[in-house]
Amino acid sequence: MTKKTKKVILITFACILAALLVATIVVPSVEKEESIQETMKDAVLHESNKVSLFGMEVNPGLISAFVITGILFVVALIIRIFVIPKFTIIPGKFQAMLEKLVGLFTGIAETNSPHRPNVLSAYIFVAAVYIFFSTLFEMFGIQAVTTNGTPVSLPAPLSDINGAIAMGGMTYLFILSGGIIANKARGAVNSLKDFSLPISMSFRLFGAMLSGLLVTELVYYVQALSYVLPLIVGVLFTLLHAFIQSYVLITLASIFYGEVTEPHVKKPKKGKNK
Amino acid sequence: MPLNIDWKQILLHIFNFVLLFAILFFLLYNPIKKFMDKRVQYYKDMDEDTKRRSSEADEMKEAYEQKLAQVDEEIAAKRKEAEEQEEKRRAEVEERTAEEVRSILDTARADAEAEKRKIIDSAQTEIVGLVTEACQKAISTNPSDAMDGFLKQANEDKND
Repeated sequence: MTKKTKKVILITFACILAALLVATIVVPSVEKEESIQETMKDAVLHESNKVSLFGMEVNPGLISAFVITGILFVVALIIRIFVIPKFTIIPGKFQAMLEKLVGLFTGIAETNSPHRPNVLSAYIFVAAVYIFFSTLFEMFGIQAVTTNGTPVSLPAPLSDINGAIAMGGMTYLFILSGGIIANKARGAVNSLKDFSLPISMSFRLFGAMLSGLLVTELVYYVQALSYVLPLIVGVLFTLLHAFIQSYVLITLASIFYGEVTEPHVKKPKKGKNK
Repeated sequence: MPLNIDWKQILLHIFNFVLLFAILFFLLYNPIKKFMDKRVQYYKDMDEDTKRRSSEADEMKEAYEQKLAQVDEEIAAKRKEAEEQEEKRRAEVEERTAEEVRSILDTARADAEAEKRKIIDSAQTEIVGLVTEACQKAISTNPSDAMDGFLKQANEDKND
């Protein structure tokens, strides 16, 4: 590509951007049907914007969850069929990345729960993948039609309180079952001692995801803030907290799982000194 | 329910996650983990094989060194035996030679003695003959003739 061609492309691109910018200012916006309070309340509670799922009214977050599962299923299937059979002893870049990913979670599980790392590593692998990609999902702004007939952009599934409760509760149940399998009644008691864990996990996840969603909603609500700023708020923050939330949940799950599955060692009785 | 918490939706989220767990576990996590474990096993086997071969080589080296030491000992023993045999053979040869020398000397001595006795015997016989002859002559002839003959002979020798 010559310098002249490059210059032409750049100028064309700049012209298109300028035209779009002018158009967004000149073209009148549709009157907002709901106030910012209503928008934010709906983002938190999803009371008004429901989506129909086989005749059942559900929050858009649940639809997001199913869409993400579908996408991950297709990606996993492609990798399983076309990539994994071609694995070699000396890995290529993509194979190394996949192995690094699995190795990372195996390492975390072995560090935090050295006695029973196998199931834990699989669980935190799936949980981290789910949290990470479901958080990134909100960036794409895939639209769905509500039962009212209005469009709604599909949010991150975990910014729906039901999704966050499901994730937190499930993680707690996983820890509890690990404790029972490893240490029977003692493990169950150890897990039940941390009865606040499912609530804290659920609401931490919900709060963290929701804060990102609210900031994004706020930014997009005001037209003037829709230029450049979403690049930072929408993309960088989303990427960052997708990573952070995955890391926080898997770390907490690993630590608690490691604690409850640790084999009980009887303390030697002190001999009576006569 | 407050905060729009809906148990049905929570259960659907759980169903979704369990489904995702099954998908990711069987399609991604497990095959990758298996492959990684296989690779670890491959290198472990290779390491064990190398260690086994190294140990076999060490054992072989030790065995060869032992054999070499044994061979050295055998060589030393054979050399000693050969030297002893050589010594013995030399002693025998020396003894045999001495015996031969002694025998030759004895034979020579006996021969010389016999020769000497033979010469003495012959000389005695000759002397006896001469004496006998002289006596016969003395008895058969006149003593003056003998004196004349003697003197005549003496004069002739003097003139010559």
